Amino acid sequence: MSNILLEAKDLRIHFFTDEGVVKAVDGVDLTIERGKTLCLVGESGCGKSVTSRSFLKIIHSPGEIVSGQLLYHQPMSDGSTRTIDIAQMDAKGKDIRKIRGKEISMIFQEPMSSISVMHTIGNQIMEMIRLHTNATKAEARERAIELLRLVEIPKPERLIDEYAFRLSGGMRQRVMIAMALSCNPTLLIADEPTTALDVTTQAQILELMRSLQEEYNMALLFITHDLGVVAEIADEVAVMYLGRVVEQSDVDTIFHNPKHPYTKALLESIPRIASDRSELNPIQGMVPGPFRRPKGCTFHPRCRERVDQCKHIEPSATNLGDNHTVRCLLYENEHVAEGTA
Amino acid sequence: MINEAPIMQNLTMSSPDNILEIRDLKMHFPIRQGVFSQITGYVKAVDGVSFSIKQGETLGLVGESGCGKTTIGRCIMRAYDVTAGQMLYQAEDGSVVDLASIDGQQLRALRKDIRMIFQDPYSSLNPRMTVFENISEALRVSGVPRSVMQDRVSAMLRRVGLRPEYMTRYPHAFSGGERQRVVIARSLITNPRIIVADEAVSALDVSVRAQILNLMQELQEEFKLTYLFISHDLSVIRHICDRIAVMYVGNLVENATGDELFRKPKHPYTEALLSAVPINDPRDRGKRDRIRLIGEVADPSNPPSGCYFHPRCSYVDERCSIDTPHSKRVGDANSHRTAKCHFAEELDLRGVIND
Repeated sequence: MSNILLEAKDLRIHFFTDEGVVKAVDGVDLTIERGKTLCLVGESGCGKSVTSRSFLKIIHSPGEIVSGQLLYHQPMSDGSTRTIDIAQMDAKGKDIRKIRGKEISMIFQEPMSSISVMHTIGNQIMEMIRLHTNATKAEARERAIELLRLVEIPKPERLIDEYAFRLSGGMRQRVMIAMALSCNPTLLIADEPTTALDVTTQAQILELMRSLQEEYNMALLFITHDLGVVAEIADEVAVMYLGRVVEQSDVDTIFHNPKHPYTKALLESIPRIASDRSELNPIQGMVPGPFRRPKGCTFHPRCRERVDQCKHIEPSATNLGDNHTVRCLLYENEHVAEGTA
Repeated sequence: MINEAPIMQNLTMSSPDNILEIRDLKMHFPIRQGVFSQITGYVKAVDGVSFSIKQGETLGLVGESGCGKTTIGRCIMRAYDVTAGQMLYQAEDGSVVDLASIDGQQLRALRKDIRMIFQDPYSSLNPRMTVFENISEALRVSGVPRSVMQDRVSAMLRRVGLRPEYMTRYPHAFSGGERQRVVIARSLITNPRIIVADEAVSALDVSVRAQILNLMQELQEEFKLTYLFISHDLSVIRHICDRIAVMYVGNLVENATGDELFRKPKHPYTEALLSAVPINDPRDRGKRDRIRLIGEVADPSNPPSGCYFHPRCSYVDERCSIDTPHSKRVGDANSHRTAKCHFAEELDLRGVIND
């Protein structure tokens, strides 16, 4: 148990809009292990970004965590851990601000919109360091240069006084990573960090993140819709659909023995370079709008393996062993049948 | 420029099967600086590109951001006045026109033949026009009566998988995938022959992307369309394209069929690009040798001497920084494969498909 860093338990985040309540996250269970990479996969609107933002309590109004727990097993200096519930914390309070950016930090998709254009990159990294540690200005600067070197920015002594708009997209993302790593976080949340980058840059950034993770033994929560990136970087994978985790397992099982019809369909709908150019097998229909969530299993209108019950019964998470959970009636029934036999 | 028809009769395609032939196309954008907006230099977005597309074929234009692939698409649409070069188009009646030099009336007549699909379906539809108005606009300007338009629009909507009743709605009522279907319907409504698809599926989710790719393939067969498919996504390009042209800083560095290119690239940049594509299977982790490109993409306003790729190339030779390579044929005399590298024939480069 001691290996678990962060657990989300039955997390529900709703957005109270004028048109009604949007259940962006509707009962998510997740566990992130120390030093491991969990990939959160899903199409737009499935709630993967909102889930990850809740770990830092940076959900925008009118969004609110309505129920559930976010248990953070905080490592203490003497080697023990202390369990705190992030969900209960005040978003503007002192407690979360000690964790935010220090123990749990985040990098975003579009580096240009998350870096200030008014300050040099050095100033922004030093700000983080000086906020969370009692380093002097000179020490912070030294550490910032060291960090920039770590993320493989050429001539860090000179670039530290540059502004972000002078850097290329890949360089900016490296600066973001340097900033996020400035206080040796235990968990780094990366929300589509390579989506806006070119493939060659993407490969470099992924490699960099992998090596930094090893060096610092930090956990990585990686949010992406690109299954190729998942194949590259994940240890564990959680597939989300309409605010719920429909399947979670290790990366090999997800790719070679997927159980949930949505996971299977998702894998079949990506074009592959090595295969022949046969027609793709896309998922029918589209993700329903936020106010038109289907009853029963939310995936049933698009599912190829649906049965009558799917319309009415909401499937619960079924454990198939080896930390493989799936939320689908097909397996729930199977298990029930086995249990009664 | 002389704007009379007889001139154009002298133009011929190098092969009768070609529908479009781009010859030494250059598009340089001036950089203006100072109070008097003096021209201080040029961004050579497209710098001498030649390729051809056969009737009914799909050509993929691939490369990283800033390589000029979108500029080529826009040149073909004549959104820009090109700096130099020819863009020969063979019309349905067999006559050949140079798209780079025609203007006004002649160009307008060809607008219905060459149409474009854009990347972002949220910004490429007019939010203040209904779906019907968006789709039918091109018909309206060519004077088609409203009753005919209505029939054609509803038939086209049905064809792209949308219900004709939706034509009175505004774009905001649709999801990204549905909007892209509207955009496709709009481009097909004039019975075009060439579609320039600029990152047409890049903004879409995986499941919707697969639907749109399938739809585009079906429509190609049905309407005998020729696609110029511009994308940075190599797996999409691999899936949909017959031929692939790889670009680097305004230059076309390699042109080959999909199989040739992915099995055995002939240009070092292609090799590096292919090696960076994410793997499909976690079991392949660590099996692929990634080629790390050193440094940044060259600046198109101040490109390096010789081969533009030489500062980053791992097979660089003295000659590369002095001599600019030309596109030359690789393989036997019947091959249509070209590469812009001095050592294309000698290098043994790795692809990503092994037998």
